Amino acid sequence: MAIKTDWFTCDGQGVATRREKLTLGQAAWTPSRRGVLVGAGLGLLSWLGRDSALAQVTLSPAKERKHDVLITIFLRGGADGLNMVIPYAEPNYYRRRPSLGIAAPTDSRTKGRALDLDGFFGLHPSLAPLLPIFRSGEMAIVHACGSDDSSRSHFEAMAAMERGLAREGSGPASGWVARHLLATEHANDSPLRAIAFADTMPDSLRGATNAVALTNLGDFKLEADNGIHSALNDLYKPGRDEVAAAGRQTLSALDALGRLDVKGYKASNGATYPNSDLGNGLRQVACLVKARLGLEVACLDKGGWDTHVAQGADSGWQAMLLDDLAKALAAFTADLGSEMKGVTVVVMSEFGRRLEENDGLGTDHGRAGPMFLIGQTVAGGKVHAKWPGLEDHQLDPTGDLVVTTDYRAVLGDVLARRMGNESTDEVFPGAALGSGYVA
Amino acid sequence: MIATRRDLLKAAAAGSIAAAVGGCTPITAKIAERDPALPLPTGPVDPTARLLARTSFGHRPGDIARVQAMGHAAYVDSELAAKKGEDPRFKELLNRLEIFEIGSSDLEDFHKEEVIEQLHQAALIHAIYGSNQLRERMVDLWSDHFNVYSLKGDTAFRQSTEDVAVIRKNALGTFPDLLRASAHSPAMLGYLDSQLNRKGVANENYARELMELHTLGVHGGYTQTDVQEVARCLTGWTIENRFLHRKGTFRFDEDRHDNGEKLVLGQRIPAGGGQEDGERVIEILAAHPATAKFVASKIVRYFLGSPDEAWIDRTAETFLATGGDIKAMLRPILLSKDIETSPPMIKRPLDYVASSVRAVNADTDAGTALRAHLTQMGQVAHGWPMPDGYPMRTSAWTGSMLPRWNFAIALATGQIQGTNAGELGTTPFEATHGRHPHESDKALIAACTGKDLKTALALCLASPSFQWR
Repeated sequence: MAIKTDWFTCDGQGVATRREKLTLGQAAWTPSRRGVLVGAGLGLLSWLGRDSALAQVTLSPAKERKHDVLITIFLRGGADGLNMVIPYAEPNYYRRRPSLGIAAPTDSRTKGRALDLDGFFGLHPSLAPLLPIFRSGEMAIVHACGSDDSSRSHFEAMAAMERGLAREGSGPASGWVARHLLATEHANDSPLRAIAFADTMPDSLRGATNAVALTNLGDFKLEADNGIHSALNDLYKPGRDEVAAAGRQTLSALDALGRLDVKGYKASNGATYPNSDLGNGLRQVACLVKARLGLEVACLDKGGWDTHVAQGADSGWQAMLLDDLAKALAAFTADLGSEMKGVTVVVMSEFGRRLEENDGLGTDHGRAGPMFLIGQTVAGGKVHAKWPGLEDHQLDPTGDLVVTTDYRAVLGDVLARRMGNESTDEVFPGAALGSGYVA
Repeated sequence: MIATRRDLLKAAAAGSIAAAVGGCTPITAKIAERDPALPLPTGPVDPTARLLARTSFGHRPGDIARVQAMGHAAYVDSELAAKKGEDPRFKELLNRLEIFEIGSSDLEDFHKEEVIEQLHQAALIHAIYGSNQLRERMVDLWSDHFNVYSLKGDTAFRQSTEDVAVIRKNALGTFPDLLRASAHSPAMLGYLDSQLNRKGVANENYARELMELHTLGVHGGYTQTDVQEVARCLTGWTIENRFLHRKGTFRFDEDRHDNGEKLVLGQRIPAGGGQEDGERVIEILAAHPATAKFVASKIVRYFLGSPDEAWIDRTAETFLATGGDIKAMLRPILLSKDIETSPPMIKRPLDYVASSVRAVNADTDAGTALRAHLTQMGQVAHGWPMPDGYPMRTSAWTGSMLPRWNFAIALATGQIQGTNAGELGTTPFEATHGRHPHESDKALIAACTGKDLKTALALCLASPSFQWR
């Protein structure tokens, strides 16, 4: 029974303590009708004391989550992975990218050089905030990843990837995140289980009836006065059925979110989020993760990667995007600190870009690219790659980096090992399950 | 009898052979099969209110007294006949929608998003204003049974034809007619990749779902070889796209058809049959006892809220005896006392929105504002990506309590543009619940006491008891 009624802890233990805490907070925050006058003062105190209420939540002994919180960040537009994780030891990289190539770490130039990872690959200088995370073993890179989709169409490639398919065409029309949620529905029925920080539901969540799309956690609110809120508390209190339980959970979530003060949320460990959509999104995710409100999957996007023209090299358009990405991710990991133990972040894009730069100092749609995995259980400090090589004869006929790792092998490994999913073959039909990316 | 999560998954994995190749469907089936973890609500049931809750999208003021006066049998027969003329408001609203005026090939000139919005609007207009409510209920059931996802490919442009000529036309007809219409439907052909199914490179997508979801059921006794053979029979069934032909209609393409001999469910289909191969498959499947049982189980689940074995057997017998006559299957169920004693069913978002609008006697244009609420709750017409249709199980819908409450409050307080509540003619409780309050309603009655009418109405709509039917 605890499985259905409790989503504050995914371990099915410590239910009573967690619920008791929230019920107490709830009593102060939404006084019963009889106690309106007496309670008003308390309610006001509780309102003013929101920060301390958050502190109370975060400082309470952290319960071990049974499964991770999964954060997906989709770089929309086809990010140029060859300039994110640079194969600087490949001579053809510099031959084909005379203007856009990022200098090798050993280059005599003093700035704008790749940051060495393993003697072969280097990070784009704007990704510098990620280097310490990589070095500490909490970030893994899987290079030459992608799908079978060779249309090089954003739409087709994104549709394939968000649906968890090898390529667009036949196969389930639902999203891979939705199928994961469906396969593990019984484990978590929090109203905040799956959130897309976006205006509309991304395709990866199509078919998930219980997912929420919002850009601001403040949008998750009851559009009513305290009288109705308090009456709903009374109405949903006695029932023992699924609807009554869901109603109580929703009221608790509203209550907890109210006490969280997302707007005034202060990051821990001196972390500073960039003031960007991604930074604000991840800041809210961190707030939710710490509050343990049953968040299981958060889907975020970052657009602008379709760099056909004036892509820039160590500085410029792409560098600016990478700077935001790296700062947001670094702030997130710093903010969460030891909480990162129960969190896995995946960064991916629908395809990489052509090796050869074009006449507009940009790059065209290509094939393979890198995926980032961040978390304390990832096989980090390493660039995983069945590297196909960058010499002309090693590229695909169009001149693109060949895909040697199915992106689904990586995602499947994360779902199976970190998310408690025992049916990854149904989330990714026909895909071989990968291993070794996370512990 | 509480199985652990691990046990459930193990049992499900062992029980479903199709799981490895069938995509997402088996996951849904697994979850649907598990025991509910929490008890269902108990409470008083008014026989007439319950009958209306199951055979319509909720009562309007006066409906319950009217059905009581005419008697349940007369009501059920009149609903089965489905001959009532449509409301002027219904006609006015529907006439504004171009999707029913313009053929599917010309619809392609419009933005897909607009077409999808109109499809959603049409579904709401039918549920809220349709005079023949039982037929609308059957449209709801069959639209899930023969689910088509409007965001895939060009299906949105074929969907209005599908709604009218496949689903609504046959909703109370016979199952074989319905199945045949669906199999020839361009929306379904496109949705399940029939255009990729051709000689030598058969695509099994439609063939599999045809047997697993439309007819025999996943345990209906077919094999992987049957799936491949059915796919071969259906090669060449595709959508017209040639110059100077009516685009977007059904087409049998002889050149793509595999004309060899096939063996389907033990029956030989001789070589050289052309389109007849596929027609023969539909015939075999439509008359199969496993189909009778599977379709019966869908109907029984839909009206009685649980897969009652005795009713499934009885309904399957009727299916086989009448050639799949849908009315003949429905009548005994609807006239049975078991409607009254059957377990409560959660209102899915369309049920919830339509029953709320009907209960408060609202006038609505089913416009953007109303649809936005339904979208928030997670049920857009033709918006379910998987071929199994929107789920019926309670747990699929309990994540939408907040959008339900916000809708209830907005409806009661006149905050939904284009939707205005009318005269209730009674108390908010009786208007929404269709019966007098009972001991178990005391929390709701207490909550409403001393509140203004709008607040009381909002609470009745937002109450736990109004989430069930």
